[in-house]
Amino acid sequence: MADPASHSAALLLAGAALLVVWGFAGLALAMDAHWQQVFGPGPGGQQAPSTATRRLLRALGSLLLLASLGLCLSVDHPSMAVLVWLMLLAGGALLLAMILAWRPRWLRLLWPVPNAPDSRPASPGPR
Amino acid sequence: MFQNFRLAMAWLHTWFGLVLGFVLMVAFFFGALSVFDREIDRWAIPQTRFAPQPMPSFDRVLRPAFERMQPSRDSVDSMRERVEGEMPTHFETVRRWGAYTTHRDPVLAVFAGYELPGAKDPEDAVWASHTMDPRSGALLSEGQLRIGSEFFYPLHYSLNLHWRDLGIWIVGFAALVMLAALVSGVVMHRKFFREFFTFRPGKSRQRSTLDLHNLSGVLALPFHFFFAFTGLLIFAGLYFPVGHSQLNPLHELHERLEAQETGLPHQRAGVAAPLASVDAMVAEAQRRWAAKGMAGEVGFLAVQHVGDANGYVSVYRAGTDRVALTGEGMHFKAATGELLREDPPRTAVDSVNEFLTGLHLQHFRHWLLRWLYVLGGLLGCVCIATGFLFFVEKRKKQHARDGSAGSRIVDALAVGTVTGMPLAVVVMLLANRLLPAELAGKGDWERALFWAAWALALLHAAWRSSALAQARSNPAWREQCAAIALLAPAAVLANAWSTGDHLFRTLAALYWPVAGVDLSLLFGAAVAGLTARKIGRAGAVAHASALVHGPADLAARTGAALAEVKHG
Repeated sequence: MADPASHSAALLLAGAALLVVWGFAGLALAMDAHWQQVFGPGPGGQQAPSTATRRLLRALGSLLLLASLGLCLSVDHPSMAVLVWLMLLAGGALLLAMILAWRPRWLRLLWPVPNAPDSRPASPGPR
Repeated sequence: MFQNFRLAMAWLHTWFGLVLGFVLMVAFFFGALSVFDREIDRWAIPQTRFAPQPMPSFDRVLRPAFERMQPSRDSVDSMRERVEGEMPTHFETVRRWGAYTTHRDPVLAVFAGYELPGAKDPEDAVWASHTMDPRSGALLSEGQLRIGSEFFYPLHYSLNLHWRDLGIWIVGFAALVMLAALVSGVVMHRKFFREFFTFRPGKSRQRSTLDLHNLSGVLALPFHFFFAFTGLLIFAGLYFPVGHSQLNPLHELHERLEAQETGLPHQRAGVAAPLASVDAMVAEAQRRWAAKGMAGEVGFLAVQHVGDANGYVSVYRAGTDRVALTGEGMHFKAATGELLREDPPRTAVDSVNEFLTGLHLQHFRHWLLRWLYVLGGLLGCVCIATGFLFFVEKRKKQHARDGSAGSRIVDALAVGTVTGMPLAVVVMLLANRLLPAELAGKGDWERALFWAAWALALLHAAWRSSALAQARSNPAWREQCAAIALLAPAAVLANAWSTGDHLFRTLAALYWPVAGVDLSLLFGAAVAGLTARKIGRAGAVAHASALVHGPADLAARTGAALAEVKHG
């Protein structure tokens, strides 16, 4: 367990925060409404991720969130780490929502691969 | 009564939320400020601006100070009624001495309780409590209000309504209703989960307000839930006073039995005895904590039945490094220093309880988590504020047509809460730096100015609310934002002028308590200023409909604007 006041602890926690945003970005892109915000506009815009992409995004997103929990656990006592992680989830989700509202295209940096051109868009997910 | 479950939930959410939202807004906002209560204290009382100190030596520093202490005049006066016969002028028999500190406190809280000769209830005592500079043992002058821990913090859980604990009951009821509002909110806005991260600032004001309401409510749902719940838990003893009211005789018996079980005397023996070295007892307690793998500092130190053969010393550990609020108390015989008792390992129920209370009360050292708690509290404010705005937005045209005053009143109250409350905070801090330190009853003046500013903000909002009758926006929103934008930097300047601790100096010295409050004030001012400008511009474009960026994101900003007095 790193000393919570040290620089390495600060770096690990910053990493955890980044992973939370990235993980949520994955989960958001797996939703049609948000995929559309990021990849929809412009020529060749896509309205929904393909089924395979959707699955991949969900898996990666969840994995990243879990990884951020791991980083939190490496810094603090487990009881504290869980609290830090839950609160990071709230903060990270808020940041992601604001990015989606004001600068959705930034998320293309986090997920630079839209559907392959030949794959057919999936039927919209369960409403 | 309702066609379906969802409509019933919507009714519950709307009306209970409206009525208790004002209370919850106060609880959230001042809760967020209380996260940094000690830092606000440093800002407000400049002579305490030095680094946090560990518990000083009892034998050399604390004991001489305790021996000089006597109960305050107020405490003596308040007990006069409860005594048969005359009050003594000097109180001899000390029931308890105590000293308390945390990892964020440069100064120490010390108190002493004295037996009251002739008391009708033998449990009664008179008290003396002081703030001490642990470096010298000097007691600080009284009458200075610790604005963070003595005003904002109690405002958070009791609204500072102390009559019969009325405030604590109101806040508790609001917290209970909030748990219901969270559940009903999730039910009524369930569509939200399909587009989880949605905020559409460009859509109609009603739409974007609702987006923000859902977003701030759902994203911080675990935070909202746990804080309402643990807040109730902390006061469970007050809400369900089984111990002290309903079962008073049993309670006394229980105390005696507990004394037997723990070996810690409940009564004085009536035989005088000296006090051995308490420093040696503290060293022994720390050795035993270290042996358990819990090395730590002393947070709370108490001597019971001072000067008596039954006297004992209790040493508790500071809860700096974990969430659970546990003391791992060690109790020593005062006369000999012999260990009487070591608190046993906790039961599972105790552990859960201590974890949940500790989670709320935050004695731990974790600056990131502290700031995340502030964020959670401010998200709560945003959620409630946007709830009010949505309520008004949805009804104001209808109400204007019908000549109903409903949305006009709600909107005025919302202005008074959302912008009036931070405005009152800023006024109080400004007054703190402008009033001379030697002014008698300075703290009372600060309190009075806080309430006066808040009342004025409400009156102002009501006076300006006639715009709602034409389905327009209340100009008080913009005017009070502008007032915050002017007064918050004035408080920062007043701090620099009255203490010389301007931002360049505090930042260069990395003295975060003061630099943080100053920066938060400036940040709050910036947000309030931008909001005022945006509302103004939107108002110039069109009266009624084009206010897209007005109150909708005013709420977003208010949340941030509320960051006002924040720091770490």
